[in-house]
Amino acid sequence: MERGRKLRIGFPRALFYYSYFPFWQGFFNRLGMEVVVSPPTTKGILDDGTREAEAEACIPVKLYHGHVLALKDKVDLLFIPRLVRIDRRSTFCPKFLGLPDMVRASLPDLPPILDLKVDERTSPGEWWPTCRAIGELLGIDSFLRLWSAYREGKQHQKAYEKLLYKGYLPEEALAALRGEEVEVPPRIKENLNLAVLGYPYQVYDGYISWDIIGKLRKMPINLWTMEMVPPSKLYRFCKHLPKQPFWHYSVLVLGAAYYYQQQGVDGVIHVAAFACGPDAMVNKIMEIDLSQGSNPTPFMSLSVDEQTGDAGVATRLEAFVDMLLQRRRKG
Amino acid sequence: MRKVTFPHMGYSHIAFKQLIEDMGFEAITPCHPNRYTLDLGVRYSPEHACIPFKILMGNYIEALERGAEIIITSGGVGPCRAGLYGMTHEKILKSLGYDFRIVVFDPPLVNLWDFYWKLRFMVREARLSWRAFIDVIKRAWDKLKLLDEMEIKAINLRPYEVEKGSTTRAFHQCLQIIDRARTRKEMEEARRECHRILEKVPKDRSRRPLKVGLVGEIYCLLEPFINLEVERTLGELGALACRGVFLTGYTQTDVLGKGNHNVRLLAAPYLNQFVGGHGQNSVGETIFYAKKGFDGVIHVAPFGCLPEIVAKGVLPKISRDLDIPILTLTLDEQTGRAGVQTRLEAFVDLLYQKRRAKEVKGFGTLLPGYRCGLCQH
Amino acid sequence: MEPCYLGIDVGSVSTNLVIIDQKGEVLRSLYLRTRGQPIEAVKEGLKKLEEDWPAGFSIQGVGTTGSGRYLAGAIVGADVVKNEITAHAVAARLEVPEVQTILEIGGQDSKIIILRQGVVVDFAMNTVCAAGTGSFLDQQAARLGIPIENFGSLALKSQQPVRIAGRCTVFAESDMIHKQQMGHKIEDIIAGLCEALVRNYLNNVAKGKEILPPIVFQGGVAANAGMKAAFEKALNQEIIVPRHFPVMGALGAAWLAREYMQQNGNSTKFKGFRVAAEHFETYSFVCEGCSNLCEIVNIKGGDGKLVARWGGRCGKWEIL
Repeated sequence: MERGRKLRIGFPRALFYYSYFPFWQGFFNRLGMEVVVSPPTTKGILDDGTREAEAEACIPVKLYHGHVLALKDKVDLLFIPRLVRIDRRSTFCPKFLGLPDMVRASLPDLPPILDLKVDERTSPGEWWPTCRAIGELLGIDSFLRLWSAYREGKQHQKAYEKLLYKGYLPEEALAALRGEEVEVPPRIKENLNLAVLGYPYQVYDGYISWDIIGKLRKMPINLWTMEMVPPSKLYRFCKHLPKQPFWHYSVLVLGAAYYYQQQGVDGVIHVAAFACGPDAMVNKIMEIDLSQGSNPTPFMSLSVDEQTGDAGVATRLEAFVDMLLQRRRKG
Repeated sequence: MRKVTFPHMGYSHIAFKQLIEDMGFEAITPCHPNRYTLDLGVRYSPEHACIPFKILMGNYIEALERGAEIIITSGGVGPCRAGLYGMTHEKILKSLGYDFRIVVFDPPLVNLWDFYWKLRFMVREARLSWRAFIDVIKRAWDKLKLLDEMEIKAINLRPYEVEKGSTTRAFHQCLQIIDRARTRKEMEEARRECHRILEKVPKDRSRRPLKVGLVGEIYCLLEPFINLEVERTLGELGALACRGVFLTGYTQTDVLGKGNHNVRLLAAPYLNQFVGGHGQNSVGETIFYAKKGFDGVIHVAPFGCLPEIVAKGVLPKISRDLDIPILTLTLDEQTGRAGVQTRLEAFVDLLYQKRRAKEVKGFGTLLPGYRCGLCQH
Repeated sequence: MEPCYLGIDVGSVSTNLVIIDQKGEVLRSLYLRTRGQPIEAVKEGLKKLEEDWPAGFSIQGVGTTGSGRYLAGAIVGADVVKNEITAHAVAARLEVPEVQTILEIGGQDSKIIILRQGVVVDFAMNTVCAAGTGSFLDQQAARLGIPIENFGSLALKSQQPVRIAGRCTVFAESDMIHKQQMGHKIEDIIAGLCEALVRNYLNNVAKGKEILPPIVFQGGVAANAGMKAAFEKALNQEIIVPRHFPVMGALGAAWLAREYMQQNGNSTKFKGFRVAAEHFETYSFVCEGCSNLCEIVNIKGGDGKLVARWGGRCGKWEIL
């Protein structure tokens, strides 16, 4: 590599991008590296992923393969951490656990992959052990330099999460952090309160979700998502289950469903990822639990994929919102 | 007498039935899964749940209709979905209006206290002393071991049988004998009797069966209804189907222990992470068989199984790197028998051709009558 | 009398019969619809062969293949019963000796077979659904009111194929209707459908397989020039459609029968053309010996004797 040029780290715009990107951007930037993000999903990226990834994998994982392909010739290193546990309470889905292995086995000619394990149970300290391992791999021996980069990352992440709790959606919050002018629609009392729950990589990827968020923004509703509530609170709302779901994002989604039910929202939409294994269980549990009890909450499950079509999604959303409006008028 | 039911898995129901009855309950032995069970299970399960979930659902409904009051089942450590079966089954069955109690036993290492309380509940219900209970458990365990022993023997003998189906017939005869034996003495007699019956099947020892490793998800491997009798089919095609996954072995290494260390070490270059269920084992065992010089590997997995999807993602690379043919059978309620049969036949043809090509190249004739190492736990 | 060999391929959609001579040349070939009655189809095929029999030849061996191979084998008295993957590979090798890749799309299933140095090293079949197989193309041709024979040539006329979602038959159909309603030209839709089916085939059946030339495309769908063109476009390679593409399974079975008879030298088990006139009765019952509830199928010949029986799990019904 020629001297003086910044090391370019590839960060695919998929899966945990929507949850942890600010931290890693802050961390790598502080270390003097450039973080290259793949472009927003296009037909081509999805097609590439579908062609190369294991046929039975869910759409988001296939999409991740596509984003890796979109990046591979533009970067020196690919950052594909093996997310096992980010806290002591839950594990990520098996496909996150085997992500670097799957990517490596199905895509040829990749640049080196930073596939460090993040496991709170075996090496506690959230991201810090991973950061240290990265420092070791990249030959950064200065503890102070690493620590300050870690601190910087944490600050970015904190600022990001603060915006999320304020009601920004991930893309809006990221734009705001970049210093762009972002206008978040105000909450209006007369509007319907609608919780839209799902894994961030499914809900906020405008391409694979058929822009659900954009469509809902045009309707008379106040949008609530699981990112607007701190995870620790969501975990508490799952406590009453006889067994805690294993998967990080699934606990959050379920917890958010119980939380918003208690808050008395008018309806809940569960955006299930297509061919997602955990969602097969989560969706059923949510459906049963929301429809039972003292205040049943209207619930719609939306499983979208390549075939659903723009019109199909719009129709379902409109019909659900119309139904909620009628319910409100009646009672 | 309280009526107790439990999941059906391979031939283990014979041992579990004894366990429940010896505890003083009435055992509602689950039916062998058949297409009615599956229809029932599919109707009330989430569409994208895996096939073991659907079969269990069908079995539970059948058992509840027959008056079962308590369901005993196993849990799991995740992140395989099986660990949430208990809770999800309970929620769905209760929403269908059934009244029952479900006791989910998670591996004791996960939460010893919880395990103890559930055990205590069962022992109290049974009005047994702990000492008597331990004896009951021991005898059920012996029976499980006996069942596995006979299954392994049948698998090892089948490729040599002169008349197709004769080993299977003898094996089913053995199952009935084992079912009847209750005391230790009877079990010992049954053991001898079964060995005698299986030995008696006429065999042609001059054959040189292919060696095929069976890897994959445990329920699919153990339950012939789901895997469409892959072992029997292979045996009758003249292939020795070896698998490392048996209920007793699995209980010792994975339920009571921390997993099979050697298999995980083997898997590490391709999948250096436990991904739940049998994902990493499938990878490690495939490498084991490849290194042992097996002719091929068959990977059996339920459609949509999370850990096995990860395994599937890396198996093609192993097949290329280690030059071992791998056939993946993905099973769900739509899997057709004819399709599986065709694939297995074609796979066996492929392996024979490969072996012939090897022998022509001067590796000499491979010796007849080799036995499978991993099968003998 | 010259020896000849009969191959029968009983599939879910079509039943094919082929007669080859000692050198593997095809003397007669027949392509019939199974219509859910495999026994009738086999009998009809035998009758037609007998009517148009090549003088001076006599059958010295019979091979059956396809999903109905055991049934057909029991009825006619087959010397070899082989799975269709091996049979297809054998036939392709006969027609194109150096073949390395076989793409096969039939009535209700599709497969890919990879050969190296004439030996099958890998294969795959469609697992989940029937999207992209012959039946689906037939159905869409009927819906669009185009005879299936013209389907391919029409697709070739297209300048600008439309993109159609092809993973699942139901969705593909609704997507096609949608594209029609948006006013796309019919030939562009058909070409788009062919491309979608090829994409689906390559993404699922052929996933991860190394497709090297020579590539042979066979099975009923190979008649469709549009599909051939779509494969050529997607793979950027020449695609060979062998002479006997719709009956390759039967051809392979006949060749396997020939090999088997030459190796073993016994006389054939073939029961003769009288089978065509014989009445077979099939009936099934559910064995209630245990809760497996196996469905046992019996086939009785004209003389009231049991010809074959299968379907049991524990083996007790397999003794005739």
